[in-house]
Amino acid sequence: MKRKQSIMMAVAGILVAGLSAYGICHVHLRKNITLEFGMFTGSNWDVAQANSFTIIDKAIAKFEHAHPGVTVHYYSGIRKDDYSEWFSRKLLAGEEPDIFMVLGTDFNQFASMGVMKNLETFIEEDTDFEPEKYFTSAFVSGQYESVQYALPYETVPTLMFVNKTLLTQEGIDMPEENWTWEDFYEICKKVTRDTDGDGVPDQFGSYNYDWMDALCSNGGGVFNKKGTEAALTDSRVVEAVKYVRSINDLYGGEKLTQEDFNGGRVAFMPLTFAEYRTYKTYPYKIRKYANFQWDCVTMPAGEQGGNISQVDSLLMGISANTKEEKLAWEFLKLLTYDEESQMNIFYDSQGASVLKTVTESQQMEQVVQEDMEEGDTVINGKLLGRVIEEGHVEPQFKKYEQAMSLTDSEINKILEEDKDVDSNLKILQRTINEYLIQ
Amino acid sequence: MTMKSPDGADRGEVDRMNEEKDKTVILLQGSMLALNVAAVILISTFIYYTTEKIIYRYDARSFLDGVTAIPKNPENVMHTCIIAAVFLIVSFLFRQIVKKYQLMICSMLFDLVLCFMVIYTLNFNYNGLLLFLFATMISLVKGGKVKVALVALAIGGYVLADYELLSIYMPLYHLNSYIQYYPASTQQIFYGVFNILISLNVVLFIIYCVYVINAQRGTIEQINELYHEIQTANEQLQEYASMTEKMTQTKERNRLAREIHDTLGHTLTGIATGLDACLALIDISPEQTKKQLKLLSDVSREGIKDVRRSVNELRPDALERLSLDAAIRKMIIDMSQASDVKIYFSTEEKHLKFDEDEENAIYRVIQESITNAVRHGKAGKIWITLKRQNDMILLSIKDNGIGAKEIKSGFGTKHIKERIEMLHGTVSFDGSDGFTVTAEIPIRWGENYD
Repeated sequence: MKRKQSIMMAVAGILVAGLSAYGICHVHLRKNITLEFGMFTGSNWDVAQANSFTIIDKAIAKFEHAHPGVTVHYYSGIRKDDYSEWFSRKLLAGEEPDIFMVLGTDFNQFASMGVMKNLETFIEEDTDFEPEKYFTSAFVSGQYESVQYALPYETVPTLMFVNKTLLTQEGIDMPEENWTWEDFYEICKKVTRDTDGDGVPDQFGSYNYDWMDALCSNGGGVFNKKGTEAALTDSRVVEAVKYVRSINDLYGGEKLTQEDFNGGRVAFMPLTFAEYRTYKTYPYKIRKYANFQWDCVTMPAGEQGGNISQVDSLLMGISANTKEEKLAWEFLKLLTYDEESQMNIFYDSQGASVLKTVTESQQMEQVVQEDMEEGDTVINGKLLGRVIEEGHVEPQFKKYEQAMSLTDSEINKILEEDKDVDSNLKILQRTINEYLIQ
Repeated sequence: MTMKSPDGADRGEVDRMNEEKDKTVILLQGSMLALNVAAVILISTFIYYTTEKIIYRYDARSFLDGVTAIPKNPENVMHTCIIAAVFLIVSFLFRQIVKKYQLMICSMLFDLVLCFMVIYTLNFNYNGLLLFLFATMISLVKGGKVKVALVALAIGGYVLADYELLSIYMPLYHLNSYIQYYPASTQQIFYGVFNILISLNVVLFIIYCVYVINAQRGTIEQINELYHEIQTANEQLQEYASMTEKMTQTKERNRLAREIHDTLGHTLTGIATGLDACLALIDISPEQTKKQLKLLSDVSREGIKDVRRSVNELRPDALERLSLDAAIRKMIIDMSQASDVKIYFSTEEKHLKFDEDEENAIYRVIQESITNAVRHGKAGKIWITLKRQNDMILLSIKDNGIGAKEIKSGFGTKHIKERIEMLHGTVSFDGSDGFTVTAEIPIRWGENYD
């Protein structure tokens, strides 16, 4: 009996000692928490960006001030092109950062693997957090199978770049915000002509306006929401492809290049808001598009859609294996939800804030105006807000990237090889569906 | 005694076979454990090594495209597997050293936890451990229901813990995606090794099961055989017993007849003849008659002596050969050995020497009371005291058995009562605290018929 008791006492003693040691260690460790932040250098939209760390450094300083004893560490110098591989290697070794940027091309794969933490509980429990403050399109892009895995940090809509000089030469007015396919077609038709008399057209309506741009403005999508089926036989897709063909037909089979646009011989080109901001401002303004006046306008609306374009957002997620999920959530919120941090995007980055109030604010217009020439009209906040809010976001599912690139190359082939649109889209629909259900 | 020696030999054989069986069972279990430990360590190390290779070669992103999930930390997976494997081996050795059933069950439950931990850590890529667990369970667990429940659990686990099935519900990493990282020819080797490991495990398991089932069937057959032999021996013994009884009865009758004929017959014939002579003589010579009668009296006394000697011949074996004291003690020893009851006998009397009928009665009452105490009272202890009080002998037999609320005649008490009453004694029974028989027997101290 006595022996039994002493054994019990010993076991209890060891347990108590272990627990207290753990407690002490825990308290001790809490004093020196390091949050790892994974980010890449440069812009997500492949425009030159000199000060990509500025916003993050500001946010980290603010965060560390608010949470004494917590340090945020990030790996600097990883280029966007290397980021995916860098992150994957970290992930394989089980050393991924607590909070990290997620590339659009990685999001579906990582979400399906359970790499990122499900944010639904945080969102539900955090009373300060209102998802309505985000632009819907940006917020939804962080969802995979209707579950929020990431929050948008920066967003960029696609806009129509207009060569104002060329339009003025041709005696055409700047298009309105709510212009249509018909207007676009008419202008392209008018502008496309042979100026030097060699019998070959050397001035064109548009460059790089593709079927996806047309489809977004025609209210359609390529896949259904769950990614189980393609919608290529839908009338909106068929119309979009046919419309792009009709535009291309105007140029008589001429292959246009970026040089044509840079040389001022093209009236329209879709470009991102990031490009707009970069090349509108000094010093990049001088390098490109220096010999003509240009501006931006919404995309022309299709018959079944509106002046809607694709919206691309840079996402940030929390590692599913983080030990400091509360702190990680706080930091994620600071980067994506804090108005001050978000306003810094307009100061130090080229995208737009994902928060409605920030993007639609007067301050934003002032910030953007600062670097521009006086004659340039600044895109107004309300319009920018509307373009982002209504922006087209493709559904997120695991095979999206592969299915999309397959669809795009096949449709481009249909356009290039002048194949019949209706029948070939039906064939393609079958091929893609087979791939999706595999 | 003649039946016991082949019985003993059989038991020895069974023991030897059990030992041999245990050795084979342990060997089979050991090989299963070795195989499983090798498989688990191999798989986890393979995953770790491949991950390192992928990282080293900058193939991480393209590798991720082909997977559904990856382990949280491959190095930890490997360490967990190795540590768990070591513990499994320790636990297995522990089971071979300790023989205490409870400890073995504890170690088996420990194995259960370890195995599920490893299976979970390996994301159900290898569940062969369950077969090892299952094998341990069948050999260890006694008791039908528990055994069935555990076996059901193990089989259910084996079926449900299947990668393909579970991967529908949760993202699990797959060994195949790691194998597929290698060139096709290398892949074939890896797949081959992996499949051989799985097949070997299943084969070992089947051999194990077949062996255990066979061994069990062998044991049952052996038991049945032994049972059959015992049954036959028992029947034979019963036959012998009744035969002996009959023979003894006949012998006894013959002896009695002869005895009566030799002694009583002889004497009574003599007396009858003498009396006839007396009848004839009495009127002629009363003096002669008196003489004759004196002679007849002597003859009849002689006859009584003869009868007493004859009765003496019929006394219980022990009493015939031994003194009452020694006979009682011998009976106690015999009874104690036969029935696992402790019997205490005490007497202050140095020389227990009474008349034969008295000794017989005392002996039989004690014998009967002990039998009653053991058979009806389920007693563990019996106290017998025998002491002298004036001309009486006080005999008390007390036990710590269940006693009896009502004393029913025929409970073995009838005989006792009869025997004591024949000697003009009294007997009382008390069943309130155990069972007590108290008898007072008047003794004919020094009285003589001679």
